[in-house]
Amino acid sequence: MEKIDINKREKAIDLLRSTSDSKLTTHLNACVRCGLCATSCMYYLTFKKAKYIPAKKIDLVSSIYRKYCTTMGRVAPALVNAKVLDEPMAEEMVDSLFGACTMCGRCVKHCSIGVDIPFIVKKGREMLAAMDLVPKTLQSTVDAAITTGNNMGIPTGEFVDTIKWMEEELIDEMQDERARIPLDEMDKDIFYTLNPREPKFFPLSISAMAKIFYAANASWTLSSKYYDVTNYGYFNANMAEATQIARNLYNEVLRLRGKRLVLGECGHGSRANRWEGPNYLKKAYDFETITAVELIERYIRHGSIKLDKSLNKELCTIHDPCNLVRNGGLLEQIRFVVKSSVANFVEMNPYGNDNFCCGGGGGTLAMSEYNDRRLKIGEIKANQIRKSGAKVVITPCHNCVDQLTQLNHTYKLGVQIKTISEVVADALIITKTN
Amino acid sequence: MGSPKDLSKREGDIKGAVLYSFVKAMAPGNKESAYLHLPTYTAGIIYHIGTFLTLLLFIVFMVMTIFGIEIPFNLSFLTHFTLIIAGILFFTSLSGLLILAKRVVNKELRSLSGPDDYLSNIITTLTQLVTAFFMIFSTAKVVYFVIMTLFFLWLPVGKTKHLMYFFFARYHLGFFYGWRGTWPQKSPDRDYGENRHK
Repeated sequence: MEKIDINKREKAIDLLRSTSDSKLTTHLNACVRCGLCATSCMYYLTFKKAKYIPAKKIDLVSSIYRKYCTTMGRVAPALVNAKVLDEPMAEEMVDSLFGACTMCGRCVKHCSIGVDIPFIVKKGREMLAAMDLVPKTLQSTVDAAITTGNNMGIPTGEFVDTIKWMEEELIDEMQDERARIPLDEMDKDIFYTLNPREPKFFPLSISAMAKIFYAANASWTLSSKYYDVTNYGYFNANMAEATQIARNLYNEVLRLRGKRLVLGECGHGSRANRWEGPNYLKKAYDFETITAVELIERYIRHGSIKLDKSLNKELCTIHDPCNLVRNGGLLEQIRFVVKSSVANFVEMNPYGNDNFCCGGGGGTLAMSEYNDRRLKIGEIKANQIRKSGAKVVITPCHNCVDQLTQLNHTYKLGVQIKTISEVVADALIITKTN
Repeated sequence: MGSPKDLSKREGDIKGAVLYSFVKAMAPGNKESAYLHLPTYTAGIIYHIGTFLTLLLFIVFMVMTIFGIEIPFNLSFLTHFTLIIAGILFFTSLSGLLILAKRVVNKELRSLSGPDDYLSNIITTLTQLVTAFFMIFSTAKVVYFVIMTLFFLWLPVGKTKHLMYFFFARYHLGFFYGWRGTWPQKSPDRDYGENRHK
């Protein structure tokens, strides 16, 4: 590793010096290193090495905190396990905090104290970002979002063509010219967002959601420029970049005068825009922000759409995206929508707030250098799916879909992976009106 | 401590979640750190009961000292009570020693540990032992106050400070999950009505 610039190192350490952040101070001081979090972490369960114990990962950050921000750390560092932030430490941080933690938060729920481990991991990532030590693969994803408006760098023309193509298909299927996929329309009730994986790899999930909007007679639009729900700035933890990406979307909603921002099926994107976005921008959003799951739930409850469960006969299960369920509170809503849409349902074990991450969280899908590790930890999820006996795995997150698709192939699960909108669209009863 | 400032739209019940964080979320059945590690969990609970009992007795002894009441209790009707408390503290300190032994013997736990981890355990275990002795032998008075002084000096600098930070951490966790509607834990089948988002 190259020598760390001393000014950048100071900036990194300054992130721990905040005396006004009671949450940071609390969680940096609360861990007792009992090690009982080990058995709640996919990485430790898979590799059985001490470096993967969550307490070990956050101790990298808290030992630096003790060194530079506490009297004992300065006076007697060895006594309180205080460590300097040097190149080997930074290297270990990169490997452990970017490459060995999906920030799923499963360890938090089971921690004997209640230490918010992903919060500290993210702070460590912020420190690494301040020293320009974000893995290049992840950084390039963020750079693409900053320069092109979407994390896959899809040119606007290509995106528009895809949308127009999907719209034609939808009009054909519905036999109705009103079955549209509107682009850049003003004053709509819903400003809808997508994961760029949809136009790039899974365009049918766009038409699935469009079909739901059509059935609900919704007033909605997509933006041709800022439609990306993701924010990999949340993962690389460069706050300026995360803020820029969130601001682009926020400004676009205002520009098109959307009344509600509806976040497409993406776990971290929902988290980054709904829970973190207003804090990035340091202001409460002046429009409602909800997820696609919640919107569909409302449609079902209010009778805006009608579903026929018998159209989805195969045994289905849910993979709970960590950022939507454990860290987003949508346990019930997801189940309500899925159970309204499928005839046969079974839970995985464990599920809900206890569910294991798919292994693709924390930006790991964007970091190819950790591919082997990612697929190995995913075996836990693969086994969960296999044991459930389900033939269809439903998850409202395109990153999870991507990881589950790879697990399906790697571990030969023989299942279908679907988003919630796809399952709901398959169960829709379309009533033609004039 | 202080509540974090959050500009996102709150979705849940903070008070209910903080309460949940301190009560139901701590139930052994809800935590893998408890039900997957029952011997360690049990030893930990016993050890912490000993610590709180030690601190309670310290307050009692300080009050007695201030008011010139002789320590240990020399009233005959309290003798058995004193012996029982001392016995409990011997037992709880044994739990502390077992936890210490686990940290020494277990390779992974050892790699996670520094001097602070051993020292904090030793000092805290000593406070329980010396309190038990002091309740029986008045000659242990000086040792008792020296060890307790050491404990209070170490408290804010070593990991024993989790005595305070534990409560702050549970509060912050309750706040975080409560804000987002994750806690109090819901039943996946509960019908929460149509007005939740209005």
